[in-house]
Amino acid sequence: MAAPKYRSLAYVQQLLRSGSLCMEQLVAHYLEQIAATQHLNIYVEVYAEEALARARALDVRLAKAPASLGRLWGMVTGIKDVICYQDHEITAASHILKGFRPLFSATALERLLAEDAIVIGRVNCDEFAMGSSNENSCYGPTRNAADPERVPGGSSGASAVAVQANTCLTALGSDTGGSVRQPAAFCGVVGLKPSYGRISRHGLIAYGSSLDQIGILSHNVADAALMLEVMAGPDGFDATASSVPVDAYSALLAPDRPMRVAWFREVLEHPSLDEGVRSLCFDFIKRMEQAGHTVQAVPFEYLDYTIPAYYVLATAEASSNLSRYDGIRFGYRSPSAYDLQSTYKRSRTEGFGKEVKRRIMLGAFVLSAGYYDAYYAKAQQIRRLIHDRFKAIFQEFDFVLMPAAPGVAWRLGEKITDPVEMYLADVFTVTANLVGIPAIALPVGVHPDSGLPVGLQLMADAFQEKALLGFAHHLLAQP
Amino acid sequence: MVQGYETVIGLEVHLQLNTRSKAFCADDASFGGAPNTRVSAISLGHPGTLPMPNRAHVAYAVRLGLALGCHINLVSTFDRKNYFYADLPKGYQITQDKQPICSGGALDIRIGSGVRKVRIHHIHIEEDAGKSIHDQLPDASLIDLNRAGVPLLEIVTEPDLRSAEEVDAFMSAMRRLARYLDISDGNMEQGSMRCDVNVSVRRRGQHTYGTRCEIKNLNSMRFARRAIEYEAGRQIALVESGQVVEQNTLHFDPQTGTTSPLRSKEEAHDYRYFPDPDLPPLVLDTAFIESIRSQMPPLPEEVYRRFTEEYGLSNYDAALLAEEKSVALYFIELCQHTPHTKAAANLVINKLLPWRDENQADLHSFPIGLPALTELLQLIADNQISNSAAYQRLWPALLVEPGQSPAALAQSMDLLQTSDAEFIIALIDQVLAAHPGKVSEFRKGKKGLQGFFMGELMRLSQGKADPKTATAMLLQKLQAL
Repeated sequence: MAAPKYRSLAYVQQLLRSGSLCMEQLVAHYLEQIAATQHLNIYVEVYAEEALARARALDVRLAKAPASLGRLWGMVTGIKDVICYQDHEITAASHILKGFRPLFSATALERLLAEDAIVIGRVNCDEFAMGSSNENSCYGPTRNAADPERVPGGSSGASAVAVQANTCLTALGSDTGGSVRQPAAFCGVVGLKPSYGRISRHGLIAYGSSLDQIGILSHNVADAALMLEVMAGPDGFDATASSVPVDAYSALLAPDRPMRVAWFREVLEHPSLDEGVRSLCFDFIKRMEQAGHTVQAVPFEYLDYTIPAYYVLATAEASSNLSRYDGIRFGYRSPSAYDLQSTYKRSRTEGFGKEVKRRIMLGAFVLSAGYYDAYYAKAQQIRRLIHDRFKAIFQEFDFVLMPAAPGVAWRLGEKITDPVEMYLADVFTVTANLVGIPAIALPVGVHPDSGLPVGLQLMADAFQEKALLGFAHHLLAQP
Repeated sequence: MVQGYETVIGLEVHLQLNTRSKAFCADDASFGGAPNTRVSAISLGHPGTLPMPNRAHVAYAVRLGLALGCHINLVSTFDRKNYFYADLPKGYQITQDKQPICSGGALDIRIGSGVRKVRIHHIHIEEDAGKSIHDQLPDASLIDLNRAGVPLLEIVTEPDLRSAEEVDAFMSAMRRLARYLDISDGNMEQGSMRCDVNVSVRRRGQHTYGTRCEIKNLNSMRFARRAIEYEAGRQIALVESGQVVEQNTLHFDPQTGTTSPLRSKEEAHDYRYFPDPDLPPLVLDTAFIESIRSQMPPLPEEVYRRFTEEYGLSNYDAALLAEEKSVALYFIELCQHTPHTKAAANLVINKLLPWRDENQADLHSFPIGLPALTELLQLIADNQISNSAAYQRLWPALLVEPGQSPAALAQSMDLLQTSDAEFIIALIDQVLAAHPGKVSEFRKGKKGLQGFFMGELMRLSQGKADPKTATAMLLQKLQAL
């Protein structure tokens, strides 16, 4: 992949201020990039005219009232097809929502727009954010720009590729079990999943409500930090949005003392972990130690329970969250439906893709009478145990290091027939969602064999984004 | 009812609240409106929408809980009840399944002259579904989602009720209480109070309960009574003939007056309840509860007791005056000005309530103000005006000139009674002189004629003679004959 022409917002703003670049040129550049990368199937809709119009208006404001420009002046972003943008179609990459236009914008998006960010388009994803490869989409798969024969990861695969292929400066994704971090790792970009409740979910199409968070894909930690700072905070439309004060994440303060980082032997010695990824992990550990930080292995006895617990809870919630797509009030209604029951059955059978239906059935099963205690209640107990274990770890450590995925991007179609294999790709990412803590995937190099990008993730205690982002920023800044 | 059986009834009462906005969004929650106009992206269940609890909904639950003596749970949780129906936009109803906001408590009901305590199992918060209308088009159903998301409280009783009559009394008491608390109009006809009835039968003296059937969605007391009586009879007949009652959910058909199975236990919905991940636990602080407690209005049962015990009213009058809070409060205010509570009760019942019903107005806007009413009651009590003169002559005049003082008006109308001895003796002499025949009969022992003389006396006096004094003086005169 060629180095991005515009690698950070700070750089873009510097060019804009110096007059060597205007917003219209910037947007035009990205539109050209989008046109040049069509074979990757990143965008499902490009807001070309609208983005150019907004860019021109910003250029006029720079001349007339430069003080009125927002903090995200110069930010061109793509949004995953699960984030509502008023009057713009949203489908969650599903036939069942084709043609649906939301009556409101997501709170997170409203806040970006209020700071003068420009949305350049809506990008592909796995249907209803269910998938780890971006292959479960009614628009077809998105391809990895590092190797178009490979998947970009998922479910926010296209969000990662949008940044990777330089079609925008940042992109919004959503992360329920790793959907931002795993594609970030597969595409060699930064992927941030904030603490649960840090960013309002109002306007984010729900998958697993107790796990979902909007996340950011970017070239660097600084842009992710500023985007987070703008989007974070309480919201009168989301009871789970936290009122914990929003720190100055974009300050990116360097750690004022040696940090303590934990890693799990069960993870780095896991048989399914790719050798190349493992060696990059240990390189990174060395790098942290050389920077003066303490890195230590601690036990994590619950690793094998994370995937089952996650898939029980996420699908249980999904089975209920997706009940509203019933063909009655909006979205797809089967033309062959003849009464209420057939409207439900046929519209949902024809409207949803295979993986979505699998998860709805799985979720309905684990909640059904007689099975609830064996599955849902048990998974909740496991979640509590993992949560408590992490709380204990964060008593002694500032961060936890893990790979973002067991390996690198696989070939298109390679795992699509084996859902369990696909689910296991999330083994290192679901933990942060189960615990509700922030985690950031960082590009740490390329795989020694394939040359494909490899990402690691750092996790911090809930609402410790400031420390996490500062630490990550300074680690990556070091040569 | 066949002798030797007892009907056991538990209720699930749904109370639709009169909050300004819906349970989990800002839509107008009031009854009516053109179909599907009181909706929003949230109540329509659009993608990306989330519920926000309504503070008033929670406060109303606490208010009802305190009135029923419930334990108010400082932490309660929301659950989803999943089922598909065309008038349920999200495909699930937000309710409280595992940890409701109120537990325990009781409501007193009056049956004849007795009081029975009906225990409350719990009260929980939930949202209403929309309305399906099946009878307007031949080949389609209509959906109105104005009601979707309207706040409800569900009050679940213990199986403490024993007859349709008791159910009726319970529902009336619940409606009265809801109105006193100003949380709902409790109007069954408009659907703001509905009930599901659980009915079982057992032989008298038996301690275990029989198999129960739930009759769904009874929307009037008349139907509820008929449904209960029919269902109890049906179950007794089954038991009597050696058959078993099957646990079913039943539908009552008002046309035929019979119940029929909606679904059996095997076919019962699996609602797949689970904690709603969109709503954190509802945590109340004691200050919030205490502020609600400190603003509690008087409760119907307290008011009734005050009327019977403190004011000495009959049970009937007390119930009549306690039925509505506005009347009760007006009456209490009146009684703070006058000690003549029984006369005041008669005045309100006979004169003010008919006026109110006719004019659909509040008693406080009655033309004759509280000071004048108090003065009138005092005039009567002091025997300054006879009851009949007061209501037959002075009252119409007061209505014409409501600003006038009753005493002054009675004076100017020459209605005031007198106990002046000379005036009364003159009247007695006049009466006796006019009826020599009757006087001689009286002498011969026809003592019953005293009433006749008294009537004549009062007629002559045009109601002005104080009857007590006049009776005493007449008696004295007659005995001296």
